[in-house]
Amino acid sequence: MNVAVNVDAREDIPVWLAYGTPVFTVLAALAVSAVALVVLDVNPVAAYATMFVETLFTEFGLTETLTKAVPLILTGLAVYLPLKAGLFNIGAEGQLVAGALAGTWIGLNLSLPGLALVPLMFVAAAVAGGIWAGIPAYMRAKWDVNEIITSLLLTFVALEIQSYLLRGPMQGGTGNFPQSERFSEAATIPELVSGVHAGLLVAVCMVVVTYVLMTRTRLGFEITFVGSNDEAARQAGMSKFYVYLLVFVVGGAFAAMGGISEIAGAQGRYRAGFEPGYGFTAIPIALLGRNSAFKVLLAGLFFAVLFVGGSSMEVAFGVPAALVEIIQALVILFLITAEFFKSYRVGIDIDRGPTEAPAQPQGGDD
Amino acid sequence: MSEHTTLRMEGILKEFPGVVANDHVDLSVERGEIHGLLGENGAGKSTLMKILYGLYSQDAGDIYLDGERLDLESPQDAIAAGIGMVHQHFMLIPRLTVAENVVLGEREPATVFRRDAEDSWLPAAVRNNSLVQSLAGQFSLGLDVPEQRIQDLADEYGFDIDVSAKVWELDVGQQQRVEILKALYRDVDLLILDEPTAVLTPTEAERLFDSLERLTDEGLSIIFITHKLTEVDAIVDRVTVLREGQNVGTAEVSSVSRADLAEMMVGREVLFEIDREAVDLGDPVLRAREIRASDNRDIEALSGIDLTVRQGEIVGIAGVSGNGQKELAEVMAGIRDVTGGKLEVNGADITGAKPKTFVENGVSFVPEDRLQYGCAEDLSVMHNATMKDFRNGRFGDRPFLDYGELRDYAETLVEEFDVRGVSDVTETKAGDLSGGNLQKLILAREIYRDPELLIANQPTRGVDVGAIEFIRETLLEQRKAGTGIILISEDLDEIFDLSDRILVVYEGEFVYETTPAEADRERIGLEMTGGGGDDGGETVASPPQSGITQGSES
Repeated sequence: MNVAVNVDAREDIPVWLAYGTPVFTVLAALAVSAVALVVLDVNPVAAYATMFVETLFTEFGLTETLTKAVPLILTGLAVYLPLKAGLFNIGAEGQLVAGALAGTWIGLNLSLPGLALVPLMFVAAAVAGGIWAGIPAYMRAKWDVNEIITSLLLTFVALEIQSYLLRGPMQGGTGNFPQSERFSEAATIPELVSGVHAGLLVAVCMVVVTYVLMTRTRLGFEITFVGSNDEAARQAGMSKFYVYLLVFVVGGAFAAMGGISEIAGAQGRYRAGFEPGYGFTAIPIALLGRNSAFKVLLAGLFFAVLFVGGSSMEVAFGVPAALVEIIQALVILFLITAEFFKSYRVGIDIDRGPTEAPAQPQGGDD
Repeated sequence: MSEHTTLRMEGILKEFPGVVANDHVDLSVERGEIHGLLGENGAGKSTLMKILYGLYSQDAGDIYLDGERLDLESPQDAIAAGIGMVHQHFMLIPRLTVAENVVLGEREPATVFRRDAEDSWLPAAVRNNSLVQSLAGQFSLGLDVPEQRIQDLADEYGFDIDVSAKVWELDVGQQQRVEILKALYRDVDLLILDEPTAVLTPTEAERLFDSLERLTDEGLSIIFITHKLTEVDAIVDRVTVLREGQNVGTAEVSSVSRADLAEMMVGREVLFEIDREAVDLGDPVLRAREIRASDNRDIEALSGIDLTVRQGEIVGIAGVSGNGQKELAEVMAGIRDVTGGKLEVNGADITGAKPKTFVENGVSFVPEDRLQYGCAEDLSVMHNATMKDFRNGRFGDRPFLDYGELRDYAETLVEEFDVRGVSDVTETKAGDLSGGNLQKLILAREIYRDPELLIANQPTRGVDVGAIEFIRETLLEQRKAGTGIILISEDLDEIFDLSDRILVVYEGEFVYETTPAEADRERIGLEMTGGGGDDGGETVASPPQSGITQGSES
C-alpha cells in the first residue's frame, strides 16, 4: 500500500470555508473534548446538553452567562481594537487588573452618591487601564519594541502590584485574606435586569462605540489603513504613532472597565484571583470576532456560555473544572489549525493497487 | 501545424465571475523558438499561462505537448510534463544558498530518510515505508545538495552564478537566473517567463536575452510574456497577441511593424509621439536648496540637491537606478527626513514637516513601488482611492466619515481614469487589480485632488502600452492645469517625450541639466554613468568610482 500526503496552497478560499471556520472550529473542539469526557466516564451528549441547556434556558444560567460576558466582551474589545491596527495586545489581563485596582480604590475611599461614584470608578479604572496599555504602545510606536512581549510582561507587574496592595494597604474585611473591604451600596454597580448588573450596558455601549469608530469615522479609516499597510498609510499622512497609541490606550480602558464591572458589579469586593484570566481568554475572543465588533460580542457571549456551562457540568457530572479550560484551549488550537486549512489543501492518497516495488525488497510492511 | 510544433493549446476557455479571461484561445509554440505573448494588462496572458502551468484549470479546451494531451492539475504536473515557469516576483528564499533554492521544490528528503543512504541510523525497513517516505518528502529537507550538478548546469548555459552563494547576496538579474536554473534543474522543455525584464535594468535585460538565446539553441522553447514592443523586436521569433481574452493573431516578428503590433494589442492606433503643447510656466511650486538625505542603511544618498519646479513644468530626472532617485522622491513627498537643506512648497517652508503637512500643502506622490507605498493591497479599491482625501470635508463632518460619499468618489475615479477589473469598489481589493490598472488608480487618486506638486517615480514601469499612453497623457494634462511635476524615470524616451527640463542624477547629485530640444542622448547616457567630465552643466564632485562602467556607450 502506498500512502502519499500532499499539501498544496489554495488558490482562493471557498466562501463556505471562510464563513464556516468559526463554527467548525467550535464543533471540532467540542468533539475532541468529548474524548476527555468519555475517559472520565461521562456521556458527552448528556454533558453538552446540560452545559448548553442549563446556561441558555434557565434564568440562573442566563444571569450568570450575561454577568460573565461583561468582562469577556470588554477584554475582547481590548484585544480586537489593536488587532485592527495590526498590533497584538496580549496584556488585557494586566490592564483589567490595573483598572480594577484603581476603580476599587476610588470606590472604597470616596463617599459620594452612587450616581456619581460608580461613573467615577469607571473613569478611574479607564485611566489606569489606558496608562497601563499606553506603556507598551508608546514603546512600540517610538522605538519599535515588540508590544506582544511588553504588554504580556506588564501583566505580571500588575498582578504583583495587586498582590501587594491586597495584602497591604488595601487589605480589609474580617480575617487576614488577600481581599479588600466590601463595597458600600453607593459603590456597587446597580442591577440592570434580574440579577445582571449595569456593566452589561457599558459593555454593549462599548461594542457599539467600537463598531461606529471602525466603520463610520475617519479614525477608523486610519486604523484600518495603518493595520493593512503602515508604509502606505504614512505616505498618505496618517500617523502610525498616534494610531498605535490610541488603539492601545482605548483598548486598555475597555479591559479596565471590564475589571471594575466584575469587581463592583458581581463580586462586591476585590479578592485576589477574583477572575479566571478573562484577559487571556480575550485573545481567542478577539480572534474569533476579528471581523467586527459585534462578532466580538457574540464570541464573548459564547465563551461566557463555556465558562458557566462548564461549571454546571462540573456540578452535575463531577468533572474537573479544568475541562472547561481544555475546551477553551482546544478552541484556540483549532482556530490556529483552521487558518492553515484555510490556506492549504491537504490530501492523502492511498493507493492499494499493485505497487511498484520499493528500492529494497525487504520492505515488509506493504 | 508544422512538425516542429511542441505545444498546442486549443480553444482554452476560462471564466471568472463576470469576466471571460480566456475566450477560446489557441496558441501553438514551436520547438526552439522564443514565442512572445503580448497584450495589455488584463488581456488574459497571465491566466493563459497559469492554466498552462497548472495553477488554474480551464473550463474548456485542451493542451497538447508533443502531441500528448496533458491534464494539468497542479504546477507539479506541469513540471513533470516538462513545463517550467519563472514568475515576475521571485519565489526564492534569500537566506538559503542558490543550490538550496534550486532543489527546494523538489522536496529531497533529509539524508537519513534516503532509501540509498549508507550511513543512516534509521533502519531500512522504516526508510522504505511509503508513508515515511511521503512524510519525509514533505517535512524534511536534504541539504546535502547535488551542488556540482547545478554548477555544471549554470556553466553550461553561461550563467555566472556561484551556487554556494546566498541568494540575498545576488543582484536581481542573478536572482532571476537562479529562478531559470530552478526550472532547468527540473528538465523542462518549455519555459514560461512572466514579464522577465520588469525588474531588470537595461544591461541586465541584455544579459538575460543572451542567456535565453543559448537556451533555445539547446532546443528549449520559451514563452515570453511581455507588453514591451521593443523586447518583442529584440528577442522574440513569433508573437501571439491577446486582447480582451481573445487571440487576435500570431505573427512572425520580422514581418510586422511595431505600430501594427501595438494596434493589435490595444485595438486602435497608438500614438508613440505625444503632442506636448507649450505651457507658460508660473511661480515656483517647489524650491529645494542643498538637500541632503541618507538611504535606509544610513549612507548619504543625496549630497546637496538644488531643485526648483514651477507651475506647469515637468522636470525629468534621468539616471541609472540607485543614484538617489528613490530618496529624492521620498524627500520631496515628505516621507524621508532630510539631514540638511531647505524645502519650500508654494512658498511655505515645510522642511522636516510630517507627511500630512506635505499632503495638505498639495504634494502628490506616485511611488516607485506600488505595493509597498502606493496602496494597501488587502483593502478595497474604495479605501485606496480615498487614502489621501478622506480628511476632506466633503466626506462628512468630523469625526464621522460618510462611506457613501467615499464610494461615489472612488467610483468616479475608477470611471474617469478607466481603471478596469473593478466589479465593486468596496469589494474588489487593490491587490486584485493588474499592475497597469492599479497604477491608474494610484495616479487617479494623486491627480484628482489637483495637486500643486506631483512627484511621479517610475510611473509607467511594468504597465502596458495602453496604460502608458494614458498615464503620459494624464501627466501632460495635469501640467496644463498648472501642476509642477517631477518625473523620475529610467526610460529615456519617456523623459524626452514629457519633460520641459532634464536633470541627470549621478551618485546623489545633479551632474547635468538640459532640455529635450538641446539634449544629446549620448551625452546624457555618459552623464548617467558618471563619465560626463566637467564641461557644461555642473561638475561631478568626485571622480567616478570603480565598479561603475565608465562611458560604456562610447
